[in-house]
Amino acid sequence: MDAEVLVHDYLGRLDAAAGSLPPSRRAELTGEVRQHIEMALAEAGGRDEVTVRNVLDRLGPPDEIVEAELGADGPAPGWAAAQPRAPAVHSGWGGTEIAAILLLTLGAVFLPIIGPLLGLIFVWASNQWTSREKLIGTAIVVVLAILPIILLLGVQAGGTVTSGQL
Amino acid sequence: MDVFPFVVLIPLAGILAAVYLVVVLLRRRP
Repeated sequence: MDAEVLVHDYLGRLDAAAGSLPPSRRAELTGEVRQHIEMALAEAGGRDEVTVRNVLDRLGPPDEIVEAELGADGPAPGWAAAQPRAPAVHSGWGGTEIAAILLLTLGAVFLPIIGPLLGLIFVWASNQWTSREKLIGTAIVVVLAILPIILLLGVQAGGTVTSGQL
Repeated sequence: MDVFPFVVLIPLAGILAAVYLVVVLLRRRP
């Protein structure tokens, strides 16, 4: 599904859930959440489906945002009241992330090749990193692991040419 | 001598990737 469609659908559900709010506040809330989504996507550096889904998951269901808004007494302080809950739900080190980091570090030393490969599998299994971050992590491992192979091939090819010339 | 690049670069690759991923997670925390 297209990322823009996901955001549009989410904001539509938020608008529908905010039916009990005054129209001006409802429009303001939708605008604030839209702005927050745009900022989170810019920070994540990608607009692919997985990134958008992660951002929307972090925000929580539209109903909860409206409930938090309704729960605020007096002049609405903005949906910011609901914001602190979002990172609490999402952040934190799970077993997958710890396993990934241990396999990439200690695993790379004690289980060469197998360790980092398993670490990357755990990285891709985790939902704490965006697709872009996972790709960068994978690229670091792949490029640096392939580098010695290229160097060796280069040395061998150079050696063959030299011996051929002689 | 031929094994040297593998012994050094493969652990280095894993460590660098891990450092990047940890920094990303820590920066995201409030």
